[in-house]
Amino acid sequence: MGGIRTRLALAIVGLVAVTVLAIGVGTYVFVDARLRDGLLGDATRRAQFNLSILVPGVLPAGANASTFAATGLPAAFRLRGDVEEIVEFGDGKPYYSDADLSGALDALPAELKAVVSGGHLGYAWQTLAGRPGLIVAGRAASGPAIYFVFSADSIEAALAQLRLGLAVAALVALLLAIGTAGLVARGILLPVRSGSAAAARIAAGDLSARVLGGGTDEFARWAAEFNRMADSLESTVGRLAASESQNRRFVADVAHELRTPLTALVGEASLIEAGLDDLSPDARRAAELLVADIRRLRTLVEDLMELSRFDAHAEEAERRPVDLGRVVTAAVAARLPEAVASLPAEPVIVDSDVLRLDRIVGNLLDNARTHAPGSAVEVAVAHQGETVTITVADRGPGVAPEILEHLFDRFFKADPSRRSGSSGLGLAIAAEHAALLGGTLVARPRSGGGLELVLTLPVTRSLPDGDPGDTFGGEDASTRDATPATAHPRQPE
Amino acid sequence: MYGRILLVEDDPSIREVATLGLRAAGFEVATAPDGVAGLERFRADAPDLVLLDIMLPRLDGLDVCRAIRRESTTPIVMLTARGDTIDIVVGLEAGADDYVRKPFEMAELVARVRAALRRRGREGGGDLPARLELGPIAIDVAGRTVAREGREIPLTRTEFDLLVELAHRPGQVFGRDALLDRVWGYDYLGDSRLVDVAIGRLRAKVEADPAEPELILTVRGAGYKAVRPATLEA
Repeated sequence: MGGIRTRLALAIVGLVAVTVLAIGVGTYVFVDARLRDGLLGDATRRAQFNLSILVPGVLPAGANASTFAATGLPAAFRLRGDVEEIVEFGDGKPYYSDADLSGALDALPAELKAVVSGGHLGYAWQTLAGRPGLIVAGRAASGPAIYFVFSADSIEAALAQLRLGLAVAALVALLLAIGTAGLVARGILLPVRSGSAAAARIAAGDLSARVLGGGTDEFARWAAEFNRMADSLESTVGRLAASESQNRRFVADVAHELRTPLTALVGEASLIEAGLDDLSPDARRAAELLVADIRRLRTLVEDLMELSRFDAHAEEAERRPVDLGRVVTAAVAARLPEAVASLPAEPVIVDSDVLRLDRIVGNLLDNARTHAPGSAVEVAVAHQGETVTITVADRGPGVAPEILEHLFDRFFKADPSRRSGSSGLGLAIAAEHAALLGGTLVARPRSGGGLELVLTLPVTRSLPDGDPGDTFGGEDASTRDATPATAHPRQPE
Repeated sequence: MYGRILLVEDDPSIREVATLGLRAAGFEVATAPDGVAGLERFRADAPDLVLLDIMLPRLDGLDVCRAIRRESTTPIVMLTARGDTIDIVVGLEAGADDYVRKPFEMAELVARVRAALRRRGREGGGDLPARLELGPIAIDVAGRTVAREGREIPLTRTEFDLLVELAHRPGQVFGRDALLDRVWGYDYLGDSRLVDVAIGRLRAKVEADPAEPELILTVRGAGYKAVRPATLEA
């Protein structure tokens, strides 16, 4: 683009330079010719008058250089304006009206002398004695040849002024041209720059970017095309986004509408469960299945609602100091008591949202319980520099490397044929919570078989040990006594 | 420990199954299908606890909650169907003591109802002294009344228990989880907003200027504490 601009500016400057030169030269030639024509016409008329009227009546025959002045002719010549003359009597002693002109006769062009000696009137532009002049010459009938020398000083002075004026004007014009060419080139290229900027913004995802500018030139037409394309792109993407948002809204609405009948179902299942012993064996089995299926349905609907809140950006983390060891211990106790938790010697305290951490760890444990049933599950908390990790590792069948990344997709099931109690949303939800807490959740194969799910969180706050009043739970010595379940159980590492 | 419960819920199935479950747990249950009927039943029966659905026909559950709070300190437990977390805070600010999210297992509902009814002082006060003082506030623990300069301040059970919990160990910092456990009976990961909203309501009643609390102080990143008497005098 810079290249185009420079070339455009140079072209404009060159064009201006050529134009200025042509106008200057033309003006100069024209003025020069007019001035010379004027002087020549005037000089010719005076010379003719002198030669044909004055000289014949006044000049005696046999006059020579020494007697010429006495005839009064030089004074008569000057009556009508400044003029000098050289008179050639043919005796080798010419008359010079001005001492400065002495010997100038020899400097006159031979062609002029030839014309004059032929009895004709002739002229020549010639610098004599260092001064520009016009010589008009002729002879009176059988008299001497008289060369009238008219001064061309005024012409030369006028032309010199004209040259100076033209040069200054050309210089100014060129400078202006250079100055404006840059601006003009910029102006001409402005729509291109605007188009380029708009295209870059669209590429960056801002579909509202448009090219500005009206008019009817090629750029305006191009801009209109560009804007039409952008409009179409924006409306298409907008329709897609709206339809996706409608879909998600629909899912949220469905999940919400399911809540009321589901609440009744869950309550009814609770009552049926309490009365299982009163049922006949067949009815009892059916009732057990019913209760379990209602629990699955509840999990599914609640998971869908939870994801809907993420999709609606309705979730916010509520940060407080959290002891990760306590979160892990509590989650293990509630979800998978047979899992082995290994915690570092020092409490790991981060500024985070304890309910979300519980949800993440709980879902990771549920995943291990569902997909690696009966296998040994290990949960580890580790602190490395600016990050902390919680790892849930099982010895189950593991996951093929090519589908590892899909593990966090909604409704993804590694083995579609396997019926499980999970909704297929647990890991997707855990990943959403992790992202909200500024962390990441990754899955990787465990060496020796099985799957490892690793939650990595930034350490946004780390408190020294021995400040128990300022941790999750905020319990102090007295409340700790009252609630022994909140102490730090340790597993040997 | 049994009690009489008013259940205000518009869905007939939920109303019936909850009634069955609560009766099985030993409670007496009266029901109302909408907000207006609920408020009438409340005034007629004077129940020990109200279970209140939020989205109700005729009169919104939040309005019923505010109306009850204007005339009574009876515990109110909201039944919230909306996933919208704002509703929970609005309900707590309207004066509800606790909430149960739909859908709920019968055991969860019964546990919340029992926790709301089982309040400190009701069963003799345990290790607590009969009287406590917090600055100008006099607390009659056994009689469950609170007064400032002889004038009684009406506190809900939750607010009263919270005040006693803090005031019987002035200067000690109580974390939100400890208060959730001791006042609300959540032994694991309750909603800390219950505490924050209840503290706000309590301050509005006992503090001279709730915006500049002098009796119940916030300890950043930790929880709350009642001011020590020495600090007050200084």
